Amino acid sequence: MNASTPLLTIDSLCFDFGQTEKTVDSLELSVKKGEIVCILGASGCGKTTVLNLIAGLLKPKSGTINLQSESGKKNSIGYIFQSDPLFPWRTVEGNLMLAFDLNKSLDRNKAKEMMQQYLSAFHLNQQVLSKYPAQLSGGMRQRVSIIQSLMFDPDLLLLDEPFSALDYYTKLSLEEEFCQLVRAKNKSAILVTHDIEEAVAMGTRAFIMSGGKLAKEFLIRLESSTTQTSSNANVSVARGSEEFAKHYREIWSELKSIISG
Amino acid sequence: MIAFVIVWYFYTFGDKQRQFIFSSPDKVLEALERTIKSGELLLNCQVTITEAVAGFLLGTTIGAIVGLSLWYSRLIAQLSKPYITALATVPIFALAPVIISWFGIDIYSKIALAFLSTVSVAIVQSYQGAMSVEKRFLRLMQVAGATRWQTFKLVVVPSSIIWVLNAMKLNIGLALMGAFIGEFISSEHGLGNMIVKASGLYDQATVFAGVIALIVIALLLTFVIEQIETRLMRWKTS
Repeated sequence: MNASTPLLTIDSLCFDFGQTEKTVDSLELSVKKGEIVCILGASGCGKTTVLNLIAGLLKPKSGTINLQSESGKKNSIGYIFQSDPLFPWRTVEGNLMLAFDLNKSLDRNKAKEMMQQYLSAFHLNQQVLSKYPAQLSGGMRQRVSIIQSLMFDPDLLLLDEPFSALDYYTKLSLEEEFCQLVRAKNKSAILVTHDIEEAVAMGTRAFIMSGGKLAKEFLIRLESSTTQTSSNANVSVARGSEEFAKHYREIWSELKSIISG
Repeated sequence: MIAFVIVWYFYTFGDKQRQFIFSSPDKVLEALERTIKSGELLLNCQVTITEAVAGFLLGTTIGAIVGLSLWYSRLIAQLSKPYITALATVPIFALAPVIISWFGIDIYSKIALAFLSTVSVAIVQSYQGAMSVEKRFLRLMQVAGATRWQTFKLVVVPSSIIWVLNAMKLNIGLALMGAFIGEFISSEHGLGNMIVKASGLYDQATVFAGVIALIVIALLLTFVIEQIETRLMRWKTS
């Protein structure tokens, strides 16, 4: 797949929960490899529904979702939820090896090697492997949950407000670790968030969702970005820049006008 | 408990009539000593434990397998609901004479009664457990492309264990009751047999000795279940 070919293409996507008003109405979106696309919007505007449709948890009423998986593998989507889905009866290692348990054709040693790489990328030590999820802090649980998704080696990551329940400092470091990893592994991600700062700091593009559509698009370019499509790896540095404030103001002014109607 | 024994002791002390009607703690101790020494109590305990444990294991295992398997099909679960409810509500006392005439007066009829007393609880509890699996776990498996069998094996069964353990705790008492009812109606051995014979002779002390033995067995079996629970639910206590 060449760099300009979209990894994900969504055409005229429609969905409703049985009401007359559509939750998702003729939505169009394309995501290239290496991009982090953020979707902002008021509560209940259908952001999570879009992620659920992409993940196959909901069936569209009409329209198409086309994911051009590079490897052609079955599970090329990873979904990171706001509330982590770690199995409480499994240790961290057991949770991380879920990808191996579901696909025995994977090489166990390779899976373990991959796990070690992700653990060090997210600054988690070896001792954490023998712990149960209940023994971890909120930030550690979310790190483990992200690694659990990455262990499936997905091409596209869907993130539904994954950092919203974390304290500010944990959130900042997790955002940074996540962006660095997405860039290093050349993954793509769609992040749903209420946090404009988070969207500007992490995203390469941001959309405001309203009326079931992606009403407005913002191209985010910060000095700390290394390429146009890569995410802003150094999130904390990016936050201090003039462009950051400019993007923030633009998005906030648009969001304010949409919310106030 | 100690207060009750003290009151019981002084209420019956030196009064033959009261001792005949209510027995007394010292007479119960004497009955315990006598039946232990003669081997009668241990033999009867052994028979009752065998019947109850066999019925308990069969009822809980089959019930748990059926209850968890109902997760596979809501339709079958809905269709089987009235039958499970019927099985759960039929008093075991009403079925006991029929079961004894089918299986005879030896150990098998008591095992069958203990099985019938426990199977419905295990089905209901396990099905509840299977249907209470957190949605976030099921969503994860769906996104990961897991098969229905993988979801059952890796999520539904482990997350329902706590419900199965609860069924086991409830079923200990029920299995003992099933075995006891069978022995009470028709048997050659067992604590139910010992108690019914003693009460026919107005030997209240031996009746109480049998009841105490039943309580001790129930406590011991519950202790075993709690040990299994501690092992299986290590993640919860960690």
